[in-house]
Amino acid sequence: MDFIAQVFGSFSLLLDPFNLTYVVMGFLIGTIFAAIPGLTATLAMALLLPLTYSLNVETALMACASIYMAGMCGGSITATTINIPGAPSSMMTALDGYPMQQQGKGALALGHAALGSMFGGAVGALLLIAVAPFVAELSLLVKTTGKFSLLAFALIVVVIAQRGRIPQAGLAACIGLMLATVGLDAMEPVTRFTYGNANLTAGIALMPVIIGTFAIAEVLTQAYSHTDISAAAAAADKVKIRRRDFIPPLSDIRKIGFGCYFKSCLIGYFVGTLPGAGGSMGSFLAYTETVRTSSEPETFGKGNPQGIAASESANNAVCGGAMVPMLTFGIPGDPITAIMLGVLVINGIQPGPQLMADQAGLIAPMLAALLFSAVVLIPLTLWLIGPYFIKIVSIRKDVLYAVIALLAVVGSFVATYSTFQMFMALGMGVLAFYLRRNGFPVITMLLGYILGPNLEEFLRRSLSLSNGDPTTFFTNPDSLFFVVLTLIFFYFLVIRKPAELPGAKAAK
Amino acid sequence: MLLNRQLVFLYLILAVSVGYLVSALNLGAPISDGSLTPAFFPILVGCAAILFASILTLQKLRETRDEPEDTAPRTFTHLWVVVAMFIYIAAFRQLGYFLSSGLFVFALIVLFSSFEKLAIKAVIAAVVTGVAYLMFQQLFGVRLPTLWG
Repeated sequence: MDFIAQVFGSFSLLLDPFNLTYVVMGFLIGTIFAAIPGLTATLAMALLLPLTYSLNVETALMACASIYMAGMCGGSITATTINIPGAPSSMMTALDGYPMQQQGKGALALGHAALGSMFGGAVGALLLIAVAPFVAELSLLVKTTGKFSLLAFALIVVVIAQRGRIPQAGLAACIGLMLATVGLDAMEPVTRFTYGNANLTAGIALMPVIIGTFAIAEVLTQAYSHTDISAAAAAADKVKIRRRDFIPPLSDIRKIGFGCYFKSCLIGYFVGTLPGAGGSMGSFLAYTETVRTSSEPETFGKGNPQGIAASESANNAVCGGAMVPMLTFGIPGDPITAIMLGVLVINGIQPGPQLMADQAGLIAPMLAALLFSAVVLIPLTLWLIGPYFIKIVSIRKDVLYAVIALLAVVGSFVATYSTFQMFMALGMGVLAFYLRRNGFPVITMLLGYILGPNLEEFLRRSLSLSNGDPTTFFTNPDSLFFVVLTLIFFYFLVIRKPAELPGAKAAK
Repeated sequence: MLLNRQLVFLYLILAVSVGYLVSALNLGAPISDGSLTPAFFPILVGCAAILFASILTLQKLRETRDEPEDTAPRTFTHLWVVVAMFIYIAAFRQLGYFLSSGLFVFALIVLFSSFEKLAIKAVIAAVVTGVAYLMFQQLFGVRLPTLWG
């Protein structure tokens, strides 16, 4: 209860104009990046990561939370109006949003998307606020062997969740683990894989890895693909949106039903807690479940607002879910929470079981900002600048990518004032670009890199404590729990391949 | 077709994985006095990487037998962007922020568009460089290198 009171007490921080400016700016930047096809809120956060050096950690985390929330709902703007989802999590929104736009109800579709996002974001944040302290307390029961099994579970689940490309995901995870082993060993004074380069003694820093993987790789991808957005820009120019059409009528909301909103939120939230699942899986599952239980499934894909409500409620509820493992175990669920983890690490804060107990004061404002973004900023942004957001797609891409490249390269200099880190970011960008181009999921590489040091440390400590006996992972109950959980996930994701979900046809 | 672009990438990853494993083995014995040494985990990771890279290479070799040759037009813009970034980083301290960044932004705008309206693009590059300077130096207190020290 103390923590919940602390979160609600943190709303007072939002009255500080400095904090409020960063939260609002974060939300706007997140929305703009999510609305532009090809760009993501992850990229926005990667670019802003270096700037968190000059902010206090509470403000930085609050800005991150608002970018995250904006990133999940911003993609619905172009998904609805021009049938190009700005973010992967809005793919399902386009299925019913665009037909509504074609029927002249585009603004109403955006209103439904905003309402769903608002509801999903708020429920996800409230569940996070209510559940996280208990999970944190439970996580204190997990000892060294259990911690190793938990980290191994997270890494294995991220790999096997990449259906159809498990070997690629496995190799990407190994590359991440390789990067994590560079530098001074955590337990003995031995340097590894530095090849005499003193710059590598402290290891490969997080900043160039994140900037390279998300920002520089994105610039290279755009340079390679040279996406022609002239058709999208022309379509955007034709779209006329009026503010008064945004508000969904009560009859529509009643028809969608509280149950649909709430069920989609729960699906999104629980999907979010799984490593590697993300907003797109959350919205897909919620959408298919809504189609399955609907009395008129044939109306989906033709402009049914229930489809928009399900998809948007779920993908915004993912935000709250994904933060549970990040805050309580230090395991990021998706790229955005991985960068948030980076903000904590950069500021010398170690995420994990003790974080909620010892430094709840740092975390509470972030959760307050998450809730604030969902309940206040989503509807306010739509109302104030919704009619103009669609023009974002017409932005000059040559200038945009030049700006992103400049911010990325100079941003990697900020951390250490070292050109070595800039070269490292470039190297990571080239690596991530080729991995992406060859179908490797870079999130598994990032997770391998982030979890690698702890994975190795807990493995070695566990085996030291058991005098080298590997059965310790099966005899300790906390470890056994995660081993069994890993086997269950392995069974369902690899051995018994999931049957086609009901309603998936409509989704397709 | 043993040398298509995807296979070359996989060969490269396989070679890096083998190199990593060799370096890991050179760190010493993986287990000493009943406890794990700094070499143990890298050896494990190196073996796993070689396993995955081999599986993918074999899969790709099987697929490429039946695949028609890739005739899609090749684009090299991304390589020019890498070259521009490399030169920019190398010149960052020597030329200072303004000159290096201005040229870099201009080069990227041209790479992402065309060799037309160069004067307007130069002005945009100058404005972007100036605004970014204000953001980093004034707003966030980052000290950027300049020609005047």
